[in-house]
Amino acid sequence: MTILNAILQGIFLGAFYAVLACGLSIMFGVMRIINLAHGDVAVLGAYIVLVIVDRTGVSAFVAFLIALPVMVVLGYALHFSVLERSLRAGILTPLLATFGLSIVIQNLLQLAFSPDVHSLGGSAGAVTTSSWQVTGGLSVSALGVLVLVTAVVVFGALQLLLSNTRLGWMMRATAEDADAAELVGINSRAVYASATALAVVIAALGGLFLGIRSVFDPVSGPTQLIFAFEAVVIGGMGSLWGTLLGGIALGIAQTLGAQIHPQFAVLAGHLLFLAVLVARFGGARVVLRTAR
Amino acid sequence: MLKTTGLVLGGLAVPGALESCLTSNTSTTSGSIKIGYVSPITGPAAGFGEPDSYVIGLARKAFQSGLSIGGTNYSVEIVSRDGQSTSSVGARVANDLIQSQKVDLMLATSTPETVNPVSDACEAAGVPCISTVVPWEAWYLGRGGKVGQPSPFKWTYHYCFGVLQFFLAYTHLWPQVPTNKKVGVMYPNDADGNAIRGALAPLLKSAGYTIIDPGPYEDGTNDYSAQIARFIAEDCQIFNTFPIPPDFATFWRQAKQQGYTSHVKIGQIAKTGLFPSQVTALAPIGNGLASGVYWAPTWPYKSSLTGMTSKQLGDGYESSSGKQWNQQLGASLSLFDVANAVLKASGNPKDKAKVRDAMKTLAVETSVGNLDWSKNPNFGPGTAAVPNVVSTPIIGGQWKQGASKWPIDFVICENSSDPNVPVASQLQPYTAG
Repeated sequence: MTILNAILQGIFLGAFYAVLACGLSIMFGVMRIINLAHGDVAVLGAYIVLVIVDRTGVSAFVAFLIALPVMVVLGYALHFSVLERSLRAGILTPLLATFGLSIVIQNLLQLAFSPDVHSLGGSAGAVTTSSWQVTGGLSVSALGVLVLVTAVVVFGALQLLLSNTRLGWMMRATAEDADAAELVGINSRAVYASATALAVVIAALGGLFLGIRSVFDPVSGPTQLIFAFEAVVIGGMGSLWGTLLGGIALGIAQTLGAQIHPQFAVLAGHLLFLAVLVARFGGARVVLRTAR
Repeated sequence: MLKTTGLVLGGLAVPGALESCLTSNTSTTSGSIKIGYVSPITGPAAGFGEPDSYVIGLARKAFQSGLSIGGTNYSVEIVSRDGQSTSSVGARVANDLIQSQKVDLMLATSTPETVNPVSDACEAAGVPCISTVVPWEAWYLGRGGKVGQPSPFKWTYHYCFGVLQFFLAYTHLWPQVPTNKKVGVMYPNDADGNAIRGALAPLLKSAGYTIIDPGPYEDGTNDYSAQIARFIAEDCQIFNTFPIPPDFATFWRQAKQQGYTSHVKIGQIAKTGLFPSQVTALAPIGNGLASGVYWAPTWPYKSSLTGMTSKQLGDGYESSSGKQWNQQLGASLSLFDVANAVLKASGNPKDKAKVRDAMKTLAVETSVGNLDWSKNPNFGPGTAAVPNVVSTPIIGGQWKQGASKWPIDFVICENSSDPNVPVASQLQPYTAG
């Protein structure tokens, strides 16, 4: 029963990782950018939700809906001000630019909100703490179910977007070959900007769940980024459903690792990540060679 | 050349000039003293640095007419630096203060990451350094001091609580609520967690508590179902932890979801729950958590530098910042009380060796209590006293809603490590889960 419970909690945790990782996956898939500020963008989203909750007194979920247009605008602004310029300068520059952006966001948040910790748990209502006790050792938390359902809906909606809409086709074409896409009349600049906006919106959703699960402060972003990044790699870089499965695999690895010993929880996730990395790239030697 | 500069500066500083007119009978010469102050203003430990601007403002005001020492009036300049909650930055700003700013005395506070590298830099450069708010064992052992060997530190001095004060607070707090004396503990795999596991857990065992320790976990863990299942199975009615704040928030919510919090009669948290925001963020399940404080506005001591009582300090911060008091206020101000006293006691504040020698026997009233460096703590019965260090209290109590005008406030429930601190109430069982 404890193993079953561990797997169940692992799936819930993994769905949370997948939501955090989704935006990373989109940006890597479409633009080949690894956004090191992704965790900070998520935390920024949580702060925007917090401000709306404080000002209006609505629930955190309603506040998130109000925050959506703000995040879209932020996404476009981020793209045109930072990412597009750095993309032109080659593969390494976006990495450095987003690393710098991460520090800028953290310090701006601290200026605006002080280092105090905040949470969205109180304003999210009973979902934060309620659960169904199936048997003595098996409990299904309302929040876990909510995050899992949301993750499936978000990934499903993205799938529909990519396969059934004009924007989705343009994104896939641009991801395949941006120059060829330009030749057939796709404005890759606009497509990239939409992808960034989408990623920022979903990052904010991750920030919302982070704020409900735990607490956040201006420097909370980087701690979560590592798990999101691992979920993307485990699921296959740039693969959408892979990211969901990768997140869940990471979550289960961590909760099962904790069954052996609490110290193995985070380690088990890292080991899975490493194993996938080595297996996918055909052994450590190939990884080293391509890195060179 | 230097004297000329000093005169020009003295002439520009109006309050200083006024002072030298008024005390011209006693002060015939003038000089200047620089005090370096390092604390975490940004980064994960930034909460500790929050009251700094207010506290440094108070200290600057108290020093504005200068210090009269041995017939000389010295103007005092405080140079504050951000340690950014990171050891490498702490070392860098300390070296900058020593070499470029040429500080005469260094002060440092809050967490080993900030304080220890500053102390190390001062020890290496031969600059007197006074620090606080790092458990003294972590400060002494973490920098290479060894139990049973003479202290290797000549220039660095420290005052803070240690493991003994936690033990005293817990063993006076916990009997106030009837429990089965089974303590579920979550000590992480980091410097604090491992030190507490090694030192505090055996003491609690010897006091009759059963410790249920699922083992160290990594900071940043996001799922705690394994530990929660264990605590439920063992019916741990007391819970104790020394985590980083976000990990506790994650744990406590999951503990509520999975039904552990209804077993808990005492939820004793340390390292998190130091500041009100960390507890309010947990609402409603933060209400009733037990914690400890190293200063509160009800402390019966005065800051000898500013003459402010602890109540005045708390009220002053609340009215100037609009935020609730927090315990770092008293600790930060106390550093300047010590600085003021040791500079005066040295006879010559520009002579670093004299300042250092004055530290060895200094006795001073500060906002956190009466500190006396001739009385040093030790590592337990039979071990030698540790010079350089004074131990200060941790007072146990409970975060409660409705105790003041703030959403949550700290209510003191025991005073075993300083009987002068007034006890406000008895510990109430945790019922919010």
